[in-house]
Amino acid sequence: MSGGIARGRLAEERKAWRKNHPHGFVAKPETLPDGTVNLMIWHCTIPGKQGTDWEGGYFPLTLHFSEDYPSKPPKCKFPQGFFHPNVYPSGTVCLSILNEDSGWRPAITVKQILVGIQDLLDQPNPADPAQTDGYHLFIQDPTEYKRRVRLQAKQYPALV
Amino acid sequence: MPPVPSGSQTNRGAREMASDGPPPEQGKMEEASTTAAGSGASDLDDPHFMCCVCLELLYKPVVISCGHMSCFWCVHKTMHIIRESHCAICRQPYKHFPSICQLLHHLLLKLEPAEYKRREKEVLEEEKSIETYSPQIIEFLNSKNNEVGNNENRHEDSKTGPPQEVSLNGSIVDENSKKINLEDVACPLCKEMLYQPAVLNCGHVYCVSCLSSNDEALKCHVCGSLHPGDFPNVCLDLDHFLEEYFPAEYVSRGQKVQFKKGQCNREGSSSGTSCTKGSNRTQHDEDLANIHIGVGCDSCGAYPIRGKRYKCQDCTELIGFDLCDACYNSSSKLPGRFNQQHTPDHRMELDDSALLQRLLRIHGIPEDGQEELMMEEAVVAPGAMLHIVVDDQEMEDNGEEDQAL
Repeated sequence: MSGGIARGRLAEERKAWRKNHPHGFVAKPETLPDGTVNLMIWHCTIPGKQGTDWEGGYFPLTLHFSEDYPSKPPKCKFPQGFFHPNVYPSGTVCLSILNEDSGWRPAITVKQILVGIQDLLDQPNPADPAQTDGYHLFIQDPTEYKRRVRLQAKQYPALV
Repeated sequence: MPPVPSGSQTNRGAREMASDGPPPEQGKMEEASTTAAGSGASDLDDPHFMCCVCLELLYKPVVISCGHMSCFWCVHKTMHIIRESHCAICRQPYKHFPSICQLLHHLLLKLEPAEYKRREKEVLEEEKSIETYSPQIIEFLNSKNNEVGNNENRHEDSKTGPPQEVSLNGSIVDENSKKINLEDVACPLCKEMLYQPAVLNCGHVYCVSCLSSNDEALKCHVCGSLHPGDFPNVCLDLDHFLEEYFPAEYVSRGQKVQFKKGQCNREGSSSGTSCTKGSNRTQHDEDLANIHIGVGCDSCGAYPIRGKRYKCQDCTELIGFDLCDACYNSSSKLPGRFNQQHTPDHRMELDDSALLQRLLRIHGIPEDGQEELMMEEAVVAPGAMLHIVVDDQEMEDNGEEDQAL
C-alpha cells in the first residue's frame, strides 16, 4: 500500500518497547529539532553483558529503517571505527539475522535485534570478519584484544 | 467465563479497548509477559492471533503453507515481486499468495469484535487511499464449515463490520457461554472439530489427517481449487487455540486421530515450524526472465506470474485482473484477489508489459547480466512503478568487506 507498512509496524514496536524492554537497554526514535518524531531512525544503547570484558560499556547504536521494513532489515550502526571483528569500519554491524538474504525475517523485533547484537559483542563470529583490526587481534593476540575491548567499554560509560 | 486466550489482550494492555476478558485473567497474562522480558526470546510475539509483520491483531488472516499467518495486506506487501517469497517467521519459501482464511476471519470477529472492527476501519481507510481493496467477505466465498451460527449476520459482514458485537456482549454475562461454537471450527471433511488444522491455498481449513488420507494433488473439497505448492503444515496458532479453548474435545479428537494413524501409518508433515528447504537462489534464477514483475494470478495466487500472463481487458480496477497460463486454461471462475468485479465474459489477452525479459531489452541490459540487478520494490501496490537500479546499499557493504581483508 501507499505508505507501506514500515511506519505502522514501527509504531507498534515502539509501544511494545515502552511496555517492557530488557534492563539497561535504550531504544527510541529520533526526535527532530521541531519536536516531531522520526520513526525511521532509532537511537539505541546496548549495555555490555555483565561478567564479560564488555561490562560497564553502554554502546550507542543507531537503527536505520527503510520504507521496505519489515521486508528488509534495518541497518544497524555503531559509531565509526567501533572495535569489534564483525563491525565494518563504517560502524555497520555484520550479523546473519540482519542480512536480508540469510537470517532476516520480518518477525524479528527490535528487541530481538538489540539482544542479538549484545550477544554478538562477546561472541564474535570469526567466520565473518568485517574489520582488520578487531579480527586480527581476536585471532592472533587475545590479550591485546581483551585490553582493547575493556578500553572501549570505558569510553562508553553510562549516561546518567 | 472461559479463559479466552486472546493475543491482543496481552499486547494491547495499554490500548483502550472494550476488553471483555475478565480482569484477573488479564492481569495474570500481563505479569507473565513481564517475566518473560529480559530473556529476549519472543515475548511480544508469542500470543495467538497477532500478526508478526504489523504486530497488531490479525486482520483478514492468510495462512501460508508453512502454517504461519499474517494479515492479507502484510503478506501481500512482503511478498517478493520477482523471486519467490519467504515466510516472515520461518523463511520457508512460497510462491503463491493464499486466499484469506475465512474460518479464522470469523473466529477473530467473534473473539475480538471491538478490536477487529477497529482494524477493519483502519485497513479500509488505507485501502481507500490506494483505491484497491481486499476481498469483501460475502456469502459466496463462505465455506460450508461455518454456515451454522453465522447465517443471520453474514450478509452484513461485508462492509458494515461485525454486527453481532452487541449480542455477544450481551451473552457474556452467562458464565458458560463460549464465543466460539464447535461448528465454527469444524473440518469440512470429517465434520468434527479441527484437529491439527492445515490451511489450503484457497483458505479452507482441514484436519491435517483428513488431508493426508487423500493422495496426489490436493484439491479443496469446498471450493474445488487445486492446492499449489508444498503440502501445508499444521497451523500451530490455530491448533493451540483449539487445544486451550476446547480442551476436552481436543483430547478426544487427538485420540481418535492417533487411532486412525495407527491403522494407516503415514509420514506426517505435521511439524508446524520445521523448515527443511533452505532458500535456493540458483534454482529460480534460471527462469527469472519469464516472470512478470509484481503481477500475480488472481486465481491461484501465483506471485509473480511465471510464463504466460493473461490480462483482463475489461476490468477497470487499478490493480487489474490477471491469470497465469494454467488458470487461464482451467476456466477458473474465482473472483479477483482484490475485490475486482471480474466476470467470466470479460476478454482476456496475453500481456507482456511487465515481463522481465522485455524490460531488460528496453533498458538495453543483456539477459546474462540480470543477476547484477536488483529491482527496487518500494511500490508493490497496484500500478506499481518499477525502477531498475543497481542496489547501492549492497555495494557499500561489499566494498567494505573487500577493504577489510
